[in-house]
Amino acid sequence: MEMMIGGAFQGKADLAKKTYPGIQWIQGEKMTEEELMNAQGVLGFHQFIKKELEQGREVQHLAAALIRNNPDVILVSDEVGYGVVPVDAFDRAYREAVGRVCTDLAAYSKRVIRVVCGIGMVIKNA
Amino acid sequence: MMILVTGGSGSGKSAFAEDCVLACGEKKRIYIATMYPFDQESKKRVLRHRKMRAGKGFDTEECYVGLKNVQIPSGCTVLLECMSNLTANEIFREDGAGEKTEDEILQGVESLKNQAEDLIIVTNEIFSEADTYEEETENYRRVLGNINRRLARMADTVVEVVYGIPVYYKKGEDFCEKSVEQF
Repeated sequence: MEMMIGGAFQGKADLAKKTYPGIQWIQGEKMTEEELMNAQGVLGFHQFIKKELEQGREVQHLAAALIRNNPDVILVSDEVGYGVVPVDAFDRAYREAVGRVCTDLAAYSKRVIRVVCGIGMVIKNA
Repeated sequence: MMILVTGGSGSGKSAFAEDCVLACGEKKRIYIATMYPFDQESKKRVLRHRKMRAGKGFDTEECYVGLKNVQIPSGCTVLLECMSNLTANEIFREDGAGEKTEDEILQGVESLKNQAEDLIIVTNEIFSEADTYEEETENYRRVLGNINRRLARMADTVVEVVYGIPVYYKKGEDFCEKSVEQF
């Protein structure tokens, strides 16, 4: 498993496609959990978490399930926890959920790349 | 020795800070809690953090405002969590320092630093988003930003935790990374 993370509009998807050529990408916002478990690469993983929460599903099991079922997946996700704590309870729960799930996945990932201004910085290379 | 640990929400910065405390060795451990449990959500949050700390031998000291009045035994390891709460308390609470928040908190940190052998402070990155806020919230962000910058100058080590991964901005000579990583 590898992750590419960073703020919005930093060129994560472009860099991911260059870094991992020839793999099939799927968009997080339209993906089902089953598709996630079989995906080679996911773009907008945070949007998948948002969609699941919006549809009333839990995401606490996600990290463990992915590690078990799809340990070689490449995940591209926004970082969404760098603002003032939102007034809205759902927004708070969403940004925290992205953080918790991604922290568990980053602990498992062999490599984590953080993208700023299109430039990838390897912050973990186990 | 002073370590400043920063990061976004849900980034694993508390867990990392606790590892730093454990890496400081078998000294008395004091946890300075700053979150006032005013509703269900904050009570749940406090409970979650308590569970994380359980078995690590912390004595908890609650401090919602007035950090400079906190007295601790000398020579211990102190974990202060979290600067963003303490700052909000000082600015928004009636018994807080209001406009004097920045200097009051810095005095408090100086006082803690003098009493403790090791001081680890957790703060929060709330500065990268598109939303702009009313002046009240902007002022809070400005004050916390100033505090973070002053703390970073005082600290031997400054580290941002990104999804559990430490990214160092400043690393003190005696920072024992190996022992942090092994936990």
